[in-house]
Amino acid sequence: MKMRIVFAGAAALAALGGLHSPAQGQGFKPTRTVEAVVHTGPGGGSDVLARAVALVLEKEKLLPVRMQVVNKPGGGGAVAAAYLAEKKGDPNTIGFFTGVWLTGPLTSAEAKVTLRDLTPIARLVLEPAVIAVKADAPYKSLPDFIAAAKKSPGQLRQSGGSVTSRDNIVRQLLQKSTGAQWAYISFPGGGERIAALLGGHVNMMVIEPAEAGEHIRAGSMRVLAQVTDKRLPGFPNVPTLKEAGFDIPAVPQVRGVVAPPGIPKENVAYWEDVFHKLTQTASWKKFLADNQFEDGYQNAAELTKFYDEFTGRMRGILQEAGVKLVR
Amino acid sequence: MRVRNADLWSGLALAVLAAYIVVQASGWDYTGPDGPGAGFFPLWYGIAMLVLSAALVASSLLRQPEAVDWRGAGRAAAVSAALAVAVALFKLVGFAIGFAALAFFIVSVMYRRPWPLAAAVAVGLAGGFYLVFPLLLGVNLP
Amino acid sequence: MDILSGLLHGFAVALEPANLFWCFVGVVLGTVVGVMPGLGPPATIAMLLPLTFLMNPAGAMIMLAGIYYGAKYGGSTTSILLNVPGESASVVTCLDGYAMARKGRAGAALGIAAIASFIAGTVGVVGLMLVAPPLAKVALAFSAPEYFSLMALGLAMVVLLAGRSMLKALLAMLVGLWISGIGTDPFSTTSRFTFGRLELLSGIDFVVVAIGVFALGEVLACMEGRAEGGALPVPKGLRNLLPTLQDLKDCRFAFLNGSVLGFLIGVLPGAGSTIASFISYGVEKAVSRRPHEFGKGAVEGVAAPEGANNSETGGALVPLLTLGIPGSGTTAVLLAALVLWGFRPGPLFISENPSLFWGLVASMYIGNVMLLVLNLPLVPLFAQVLRTPDYVLYPLIIGISIVGVYSASGSLFDVSLVVAFGVLGYLMRRLDYPAAPLILGLVLGGGMERALRQSLMMSQGDLAILVTRPICAAMLALAVLILLVPLFNKLNAWRLQALE
Repeated sequence: MKMRIVFAGAAALAALGGLHSPAQGQGFKPTRTVEAVVHTGPGGGSDVLARAVALVLEKEKLLPVRMQVVNKPGGGGAVAAAYLAEKKGDPNTIGFFTGVWLTGPLTSAEAKVTLRDLTPIARLVLEPAVIAVKADAPYKSLPDFIAAAKKSPGQLRQSGGSVTSRDNIVRQLLQKSTGAQWAYISFPGGGERIAALLGGHVNMMVIEPAEAGEHIRAGSMRVLAQVTDKRLPGFPNVPTLKEAGFDIPAVPQVRGVVAPPGIPKENVAYWEDVFHKLTQTASWKKFLADNQFEDGYQNAAELTKFYDEFTGRMRGILQEAGVKLVR
Repeated sequence: MRVRNADLWSGLALAVLAAYIVVQASGWDYTGPDGPGAGFFPLWYGIAMLVLSAALVASSLLRQPEAVDWRGAGRAAAVSAALAVAVALFKLVGFAIGFAALAFFIVSVMYRRPWPLAAAVAVGLAGGFYLVFPLLLGVNLP
Repeated sequence: MDILSGLLHGFAVALEPANLFWCFVGVVLGTVVGVMPGLGPPATIAMLLPLTFLMNPAGAMIMLAGIYYGAKYGGSTTSILLNVPGESASVVTCLDGYAMARKGRAGAALGIAAIASFIAGTVGVVGLMLVAPPLAKVALAFSAPEYFSLMALGLAMVVLLAGRSMLKALLAMLVGLWISGIGTDPFSTTSRFTFGRLELLSGIDFVVVAIGVFALGEVLACMEGRAEGGALPVPKGLRNLLPTLQDLKDCRFAFLNGSVLGFLIGVLPGAGSTIASFISYGVEKAVSRRPHEFGKGAVEGVAAPEGANNSETGGALVPLLTLGIPGSGTTAVLLAALVLWGFRPGPLFISENPSLFWGLVASMYIGNVMLLVLNLPLVPLFAQVLRTPDYVLYPLIIGISIVGVYSASGSLFDVSLVVAFGVLGYLMRRLDYPAAPLILGLVLGGGMERALRQSLMMSQGDLAILVTRPICAAMLALAVLILLVPLFNKLNAWRLQALE
């Protein structure tokens, strides 16, 4: 709400500024290579997204300068967030955030920088997920799996990321709404999670459709349900959670853009405009389709609202899951 | 620094570290909601460390290990201090100057070479680093 | 497409002039990157990604792969000459390689490293070519309990690295375990031993510790002596500039050991080249007729780990290309590159992209040959580096260490850490604590704890899972056997004494 007023004011100021002194601050344009901060190392999810964005921006000539990816891994996003906070006022730096930037400050005392402390720019994509099992597993649908889990509580196993990751959140929500119980095993790397499933060491996993794609095509994995609100074009025959009879929210994995705190309003407007244009280009739409992402574009104001709502929801879920919260 | 019994002191230092680890580990969960918790592993290796360092201390009291020749230690300590100062300098004046200062110190003080030579080495090396790394390879210097 | 026709097709692709050029660029770049501590293949490949969009995918892949295995060749250079590990996997090479350099045999060490790397690299490619798909299936049978026992096996090797005091070696290993635990616990998101510092949240990078303890520790130790000047002994005569026939003969088993073990361990997703080099070093020492030489300049001590870290690259490509699962940091970036170019690595990748796969395989053979040809003649040249007077050499080492660490993380905090670890390394040297077990604990600690907790999560707290699974039980039994080796030796010694 506050952001809207600020924005209106900023727009007015910018317009006035333009009228008064055309030579100064008329429209912001980056003057040197833009730094795009990501919290993973090279090859990680955010890194790949940032590079893809850089490619599309270059192809569609939306940016007059180059964009370079800067890796600041560590602390589940905390190091990258802190780095951005330090770059206060720098107009040529942006960062790509994901869900962990929102949940990290809840569980980790050292992760002091929240999205509110930075300048939100836009939300770009929502990553849906699917629930997959090995192809020769006896479960043909999600209710099958839940029933089996109920019969032998704690015996079935799911592989996934850390306990605050979306994989576990989905598990917590399902367990709570059905009363079934199964174990969760963290594997830090996506490759290891898939290996655990294919090797028969775990029974089920929540996985992004792009990662699962090839294994499904090769016939080694089967999808039971999709964690989305609407069916994905790549999976026309797989029921969504709600359709399968489970009334839980389809928790998305979000990715978007933030900027350091304390940057001038026209800066924010510029970035917002660039990314808005980005999401409308054909190359971007192709990128989304290829990777089976959902277009989750929200501008800065909407993003701030989403952030507040999402964090509140996460707090509740994590607390019920028994995770210690520090904020 | 004249230390009678190096093993004794290092054993004690390790024992202190081990005790710290054990104390911290017992503050964390031994078993979490889904399996062993954060305190599980540290607790066990902390205990192992405690036991072994105690054994070390004991063995050093019983036997007579060789005395450690500490005469050179002063020089090494001096260089360590210089390193620490250099790192602090990096933040202030950047790598090139800080490193040049360090190199100068090492060559002139440690090796007692004439100071023009030391200066030449310092500048040469610092310049070399500056040329090779940021310019040629695009790697940032502190 | 069967193997022979695939290979012929692959050579046709690889021998195209453009692809040959990219192969050359890749291996040279890789060697340079490997020589520099701190800068590693993942970062370099990431930096070059935008460039690769201008190339055809086969050429790009050939170049990036060249960087990957080329770096393993280069890593040994600074390890041997300066005791600075150029790459995390080269740490083990520092042990005997640097010792050989101090004895004046730097040339031989560098040469053996190059030869071992070549043999093992080629074996790795052969393995990739012949047994990739079936081996990948076997690798899937490996999960947390097996990883745990693999790492336990690795830790048991500390017994073989102990030197004079077993107590001190074990203590060093435990400290290594502790350092590996610093940071955020991935399972419970509790922060451990971070002293409230943000920079410690993701733990202390292995490179920082290794460079600090080895390189800076060594420099500080050298500062103690009176300033006589003069450098490390420069290899004199052809005997010391290149490995002798006797050296090659001694290393016969090491070549085999490094190649096979490195490849097999590389296939396991998550087990890296550092583990591979440690285990092959340990195995080599265990079967050697003169184990006391290890650590003081045994040629096999250079050949085995160097071979292992090269064939590991071939192994790591197996899960990447047959299942789309990255086995290490560099393969993760390669996976990202493939995805960005529009491919989807997975079980169907090889059959759907035969020219890319076979072209890659063929180029790896060629690349290994190129590297051997490039590296061997340069060995005498590199050995001359040791001519520099030590008052220039030591500041140089310090400078390289600092720049290397900073280039990896961009953080001054890490630089101060490396200095702190340098002091630690120095103290360890003076107080007779061996450094290798510390590194071993550091490398294996994190993975081992994770694997143990994952195993217990799988079995819901039942430790029996570790002995009911065949592969796991076998490796644990092996680990126990290794731990009993010193006991055997003692008993043997008593027996011999009693007989006299």
